[in-house]
Amino acid sequence: MNRAALLWRMASFAIAAGFVALWQLIANLNLVSPVFLPGPDRAWTALVRGFSSGDLWSKLAGTLEHMAYGWLAASIAGIAIGAIIGSSRMMRTYVAPSLEFLRPLPVSAIIPVAIAMLGLTQAMALFVIAFGAIWPIMLATIHGFAAVEPRLYEVARSLQMSRLAVIFKIALPSASPDILAGMRLSLTVALILSVVCEILAGLDGLGHWVLLSARAFRSADLFAGVILLGVTGYVTSVAMSLAEHRLLAWQAAQR
Amino acid sequence: MASAAKRLDVVPGTPAPQVSFEAVTLQLGGKTIIENLSLGVRPGEFLCIIGASGCGKTTALRLAAGLYQPTSGKVNFDGQRMREPRREIAIVFQDYGKALLPWRTAAGNVSLALEAGGMPSAERLARIEELLRTVGLPGHAGKYPSEMSGGMQQRLQIARCLAQEPKTLLMDEPFGALDAMTRQGLQDEVLSLVAASGATVIFVTHDLEEAIYLGDRVIGLLPHPGRIGIELAVNLPRPRDQLSTREHPEFLRLRRQLFDFIKATEQ
Ligand SMILES: Nc1ncnc2c1ncn2[C@@H]1O[C@H](COP(=O)(O)OP(=O)(O)OP(=O)(O)O)[C@@H](O)[C@H]1O
Ligand SMILES: [Mg+2]
Repeated sequence: MNRAALLWRMASFAIAAGFVALWQLIANLNLVSPVFLPGPDRAWTALVRGFSSGDLWSKLAGTLEHMAYGWLAASIAGIAIGAIIGSSRMMRTYVAPSLEFLRPLPVSAIIPVAIAMLGLTQAMALFVIAFGAIWPIMLATIHGFAAVEPRLYEVARSLQMSRLAVIFKIALPSASPDILAGMRLSLTVALILSVVCEILAGLDGLGHWVLLSARAFRSADLFAGVILLGVTGYVTSVAMSLAEHRLLAWQAAQR
Repeated sequence: MASAAKRLDVVPGTPAPQVSFEAVTLQLGGKTIIENLSLGVRPGEFLCIIGASGCGKTTALRLAAGLYQPTSGKVNFDGQRMREPRREIAIVFQDYGKALLPWRTAAGNVSLALEAGGMPSAERLARIEELLRTVGLPGHAGKYPSEMSGGMQQRLQIARCLAQEPKTLLMDEPFGALDAMTRQGLQDEVLSLVAASGATVIFVTHDLEEAIYLGDRVIGLLPHPGRIGIELAVNLPRPRDQLSTREHPEFLRLRRQLFDFIKATEQ
């Protein structure tokens, strides 16, 4: 990391610390009733208590599981469908308009349909999360496959490479920067939808924890859950960036 | 010089051509790009194609590669009609930057051709090293194309083509984007590589001197539509030498002839 990046990193930590201090100040001055707003000290205590004696671990595991399954399903389906659409010009012209219609459809509109068909079940959650998370991945894959350098397909033809070899050795690696970027966007979508589904269907997870804490006016527990969700989002996206960095090392060489 | 060219085709015992065009016409987008082109390239021959920009040199080469199918007429390879590209015909593209896989190292790019040829992975490493040494890139196996100069990338593309063990090597202005010194070095390397492998070469260039220096025969295309306008046999001793060959009276005579031809086509 160079000097400028280090400075930026330090500045961002300072700002975060400033926010926590401000939060503590507001709580200490009782500007908002402590029933609704605990200070960071109480939230932290609740977090530690939740992990040591409560079932925060299992809630966290529940959310991570929903998120992971939904995201993986979305990734596999999104890459497969995106590859099929993206590698044929005809498919692109015929299918793209329907995609443009479906894409801006809010996922929340799908939830009642999913509940009606699948009930308040894990299957419903999986469907909703995967449906919401598939779009960024699929659209990125379509773009990535459509943008493969045509010259490389000619190289493949003159090497008489098999169809499968062309997909795995040429198209997929060439589209991988787009695909990975789409997968990173979907990670956030999957987390949000996990929480929504847990709240709506009462599935085991942080969403459920947050809901129950709010209903019981345990604001410290509520905040502990929210903080944990924030951390989950941050950590998964950092992990994804690291994976991207490793997988796309060749791109770093390009610059 | 038409008589010299004809002699090549008529001498009894001349081997059958490896690549042949029989009255090939190609239309693209309603436009006739190549018209009634007939041509035979003997096994082991080094044929150079010259012509003004846009006269159809690249198109002719793509026909020979099987990347285009003629609208009428036939392109044959080893006496068989070409219906699609094949591994025995390797093509070196002018835009090396687009023809290499940026996500694979130099070794990985050469490996692509070996994988396509079904070579077991245990044997690949040694072969890759050998090929990279042949094109003058030893010790660069781990570099990505983006970390290499233009000349190095073009050498790498040539290495990948050699990995195909081609009977015919097609080259489309392979050194067009390189500086003069790199270009001369690569010309000599290609000549010695080709001499060692015995491959047939069709080499497109718009550098007249390069065509004479490298070729056994030079063909000049006329534009709109592309057809043969001149055909010259190059009777210069081999191995060629950058200084003495280029000063040879025959070299100068041929250069004059091609120069006049190009000037005439531009009017
Ligand atoms: N796919 C295509 N569709 C329509 N016209 C084409 C196509 N490809 C090439 N042409 C036309 O065919 C002619 C010959 O093109 P070609 O690329 O073979 O020329 P060239 O001799 O290689 O030129 P240069 O020296 O600039 O590389 C040009 O007029 C070009 O515009
Ligand atoms: Mg050309």
